[in-house]
Amino acid sequence: MLRISMSKWLTLGGLAVLTSLAWAQTLRIGVVGPMAFVQGAHMWYGATLAAEEINRAGGIQVGDRRYRIELLRVDTNEMLSVTDAATAVERAITAQRVDFLVGGFRSEAVLAMTEVAADYKRIFIITGAGLDGILAGRVDRNYERFKYLFRVSPNRSSDLARTSLLLLGEVVQAVRQQLGIPRPKVAILAERAAWADPLVETATRLIAAPPPQGYGAEVAGTWRPSAVATDVTSELTAIQRAGAQVIYTVLSGPVGVPFGRDWGRLRIPAAPVGINVEAQQETWLKATDNLGNYVATLSSLAPGVAITPKTIPFITSFQARFKEFPIYTASGAYGALYVLADALNRAGTLDVEAVVKALEATDLVGPSGRIVFDKTHDVTWGPGFTTGLGVQWVGNRMQAFWPRNWRVGDKVISYAGVRPYQLPPWVVEAWRR
Amino acid sequence: MFAAILVNGLVLSGIYGMLALGFALTYGVARILNLAHTAFYMVAAYALFFFLGWTGFAGAALLGVLVVLLLALAAYGLLLEPLREHEATVLIVTIALALLLQEVVLLLFGGHFRSVPALLPGYVEVLGVRVAQQALLALGFAAAVLLAAWALLKGTRLGLGIRAAAQDQEAAELVGISLSRAGYWAVGLGALLAALAGLAVAPMATLEPHMWNPPLLVVLAAVVLGGLGSLPGALSGALVLAFAEVLVVNLVPGGAFLRTAVALFIMVLVLVARPEGLFGVGFAEER
Amino acid sequence: MTGPLRVWSLPWIFLYLRHEVLALPGRSVALLFVLFLLVLPLFTQDPYWLRVLTLTAIFALYAASWDLLSGYTGQVSLGHAFFFGLSGYVSAILGRELGLPPWLTVPLGASLAALAGVFVGLPSLRVRGPYLSLVTLAFPIIALGLIFVFPKITGGELGLSGLPRLGQSRLQEYYIVVFTFLLSTLFLWKLGGSRIGLFLHAIREGEVAVRMVGVNTVRYKLLAFGASAFFAGLAGGLHAHFLRVVGPDSLSVFNSIQPIVWSVFGGLATIYGPVAGTFLLFPLLEFLRVVEEVRMVAFAFLILLVMRFLPQGVVRGVLDRLEETCPRCKVRNAFTRRRCRACGVELRLPEKEVVA
Repeated sequence: MLRISMSKWLTLGGLAVLTSLAWAQTLRIGVVGPMAFVQGAHMWYGATLAAEEINRAGGIQVGDRRYRIELLRVDTNEMLSVTDAATAVERAITAQRVDFLVGGFRSEAVLAMTEVAADYKRIFIITGAGLDGILAGRVDRNYERFKYLFRVSPNRSSDLARTSLLLLGEVVQAVRQQLGIPRPKVAILAERAAWADPLVETATRLIAAPPPQGYGAEVAGTWRPSAVATDVTSELTAIQRAGAQVIYTVLSGPVGVPFGRDWGRLRIPAAPVGINVEAQQETWLKATDNLGNYVATLSSLAPGVAITPKTIPFITSFQARFKEFPIYTASGAYGALYVLADALNRAGTLDVEAVVKALEATDLVGPSGRIVFDKTHDVTWGPGFTTGLGVQWVGNRMQAFWPRNWRVGDKVISYAGVRPYQLPPWVVEAWRR
Repeated sequence: MFAAILVNGLVLSGIYGMLALGFALTYGVARILNLAHTAFYMVAAYALFFFLGWTGFAGAALLGVLVVLLLALAAYGLLLEPLREHEATVLIVTIALALLLQEVVLLLFGGHFRSVPALLPGYVEVLGVRVAQQALLALGFAAAVLLAAWALLKGTRLGLGIRAAAQDQEAAELVGISLSRAGYWAVGLGALLAALAGLAVAPMATLEPHMWNPPLLVVLAAVVLGGLGSLPGALSGALVLAFAEVLVVNLVPGGAFLRTAVALFIMVLVLVARPEGLFGVGFAEER
Repeated sequence: MTGPLRVWSLPWIFLYLRHEVLALPGRSVALLFVLFLLVLPLFTQDPYWLRVLTLTAIFALYAASWDLLSGYTGQVSLGHAFFFGLSGYVSAILGRELGLPPWLTVPLGASLAALAGVFVGLPSLRVRGPYLSLVTLAFPIIALGLIFVFPKITGGELGLSGLPRLGQSRLQEYYIVVFTFLLSTLFLWKLGGSRIGLFLHAIREGEVAVRMVGVNTVRYKLLAFGASAFFAGLAGGLHAHFLRVVGPDSLSVFNSIQPIVWSVFGGLATIYGPVAGTFLLFPLLEFLRVVEEVRMVAFAFLILLVMRFLPQGVVRGVLDRLEETCPRCKVRNAFTRRRCRACGVELRLPEKEVVA
């Protein structure tokens, strides 16, 4: 009896030791962002979802060891103070001993945060800040120092610009065809920010250039409100007086909400399209007092649109777990964790230099597109990679209208669930002669 | 274009005017540069948003005003009045109070933008300019409030006491006006005006925890421009700055982002030319 | 002692320490504080703590510079971030365009900030009191507007990055900052306690009276603006090179408010007040990271509470309880003493004896 019990205990004991050894290894990943705001909160949610899925599937296999992911929530307070954000990151690295960093939203703060990460040679995958200069000019000019930085979402601003201009083309075409106006007038409403300047320039040229290089339309004027303006009625009345049928918006700050609300309330007879980051959130209608219908913007995700096979499962589990529709920082953080897991797997070691090399060779399908890094460690833009969607609020719901029969070379891109763009009814009424 | 400037300028003046008048009252009588003034305005807007979940607009508005009044009077009684002699400390306390209110709002409501449904949806065309009906309502409301405040200040004994205390504290005390009570009344009225401004603007603005920052700068500039301690001055300052902002946005569309900078620049120019502001009351050196 | 006592000799130093410094709790704490800053790296070189202390020293210098202007002369500056940020930008741009190292560009940036300070001070010749404060508020906002008008030079909303380091290692950076901080604070303190400081105090109390005595208050007011702006600029330059990044955040309203809070918390018109305030509040805010959600609420609440009960500042409030002024010779004594250490008079009246 004793002998049998002994062997039973030994087996049990052996199993316990083995499993604990198997799970003894954890990888600490710090999710850094403004946690009091939706952008940071969604980073945390997306990362949590990915970490749970990966851990449930057995963790990350690195060489001959299995690691489980442990997430650390680091509130950087970056909206209030850049200094604070940089200190938070240093604390995460030294005191909280994170192995990898994921996150970052406010570009100016991310600039400082990445300096700290580069000092400590920690891999930092950016999931929320879009300005080109965070990676461009650093990873290419000073590769040895900044090679640890990668960006999974959003596309860098100059690539977002390309998508937004394609969306503009759609709407200009709609105006041309549905309203019978051969040369539509486009008003440019861009927040005063350095990232918007090249967009304004490019848009101005593109709009006026004759097809097929340009849109063969006319620029009615350019208005540059502050990114934190709370009232754009003056700009809107001026746009209306200028006789524009389309408003090309380049708005990433809070000004997007007053724009939508005032535009809807005053029923300005011009269709808005472009970049309006506030309009990407599911709280858009509530924030604009239900006046934000028909506003079009680019966005990473839209309900019911399968960009990749992973999109709908991601949206479904995210909504089931957190009861909110994910914004781009959520899909970004989710994708970032999978990218990291995949790279660690391929590298077979935790040595950071090898992991960087493995990251550079990433070719992974995430919920918002195919992730392949270019030479500045930004996610590649283009058909078959990651471009984002064009979405529009119709009937109090967000639906996608682009890409729909997007012709590039000999490829035609369309995602399932995309519907045609709709001009706001009062715009049609005002201009239908 | 002239019509657009006129209409938008008037609407903006009404709102800035309410805020500036309340601020000027608090400074003129209680000698407190209440940097939490626009924070009260924010709390009123959020309170309206919160209570609208329970009752109709009138009830929510009343509750919102009550909340702000209680908050302001409690802050004054517990924190500000005992510290009256230490001006710099009072300044910090109002800053800390504003920060505290901001963080509490952030905790309770999150950083998302909220909105309050408009009482009067839709727009009208005035002189060829499209104006939201809610904006006209706010303008009318602001005019009514300002007239009522005027009537109070000029026509009642309480108003007389407040104006006297604002003009010369020592003389007012000599005549028998209780400075402490005048202080409470002034703070209460100031907070009431801020709360009313919050209620008027809430259906047109987006509610977020930092919404108290831009109006604070404009209110400070308006009150200083008009002359601290002068109530008509505060209103004139608000008018000037509102029109300056609207002019910038209309005449220099590429420079719309500069509206606050231009407003403050105008303030600097006026002050250099007239150091007490447009209607400034030069305070006798108070010993 | 047999021979004449030479100043700066070892016996002199000991005597000075015993009779002047250690005799008072306030000064002893100051000495301990300086020693602590200098000696800390012997006990720990944790980069996070070094970072926190480096930043605290930078901000303490910033707060002290604010105090010189606003506490001493009473010209409350609500836009001090203008000098902080301007100097950072200038230092970054000079480094980028001319390739100069930080030990040149930071003082150059600070000097430009000093010139800017005199410029900002010019309205003070016409405008007084709260009006002047609001004029100072306008400058950082106008500067922010200009940053967005010239994004090629200033980097727009992203700012400038890749600024050269202050030193080769975190430890070196720490010592460079701490030495600069200690020397600058010493200078400011001496300035505050000098004849010039006396005039500044007097200008705050009643400028007309000072003018009547024949003093050129314009010169002193502009001097206060310039010196204050110089040290604020020094802090700003150090900050930019420590973070290796400078951006519009350095000109924010929040950044203007910080030195005000720290200075008033510690005690105005003292120089050691702002330093103490910063060294108390800034690490506390760091420490409060453990309760991340309520961090700012707790911070604001704490400030309200302390200010309510110690309105003249923490340092003053505490020192007033620990020290007493001799009624005859006005020298400060520790509260434990019965007799004044300089003139020997009794500090407190004896208990009344009951006469039967």
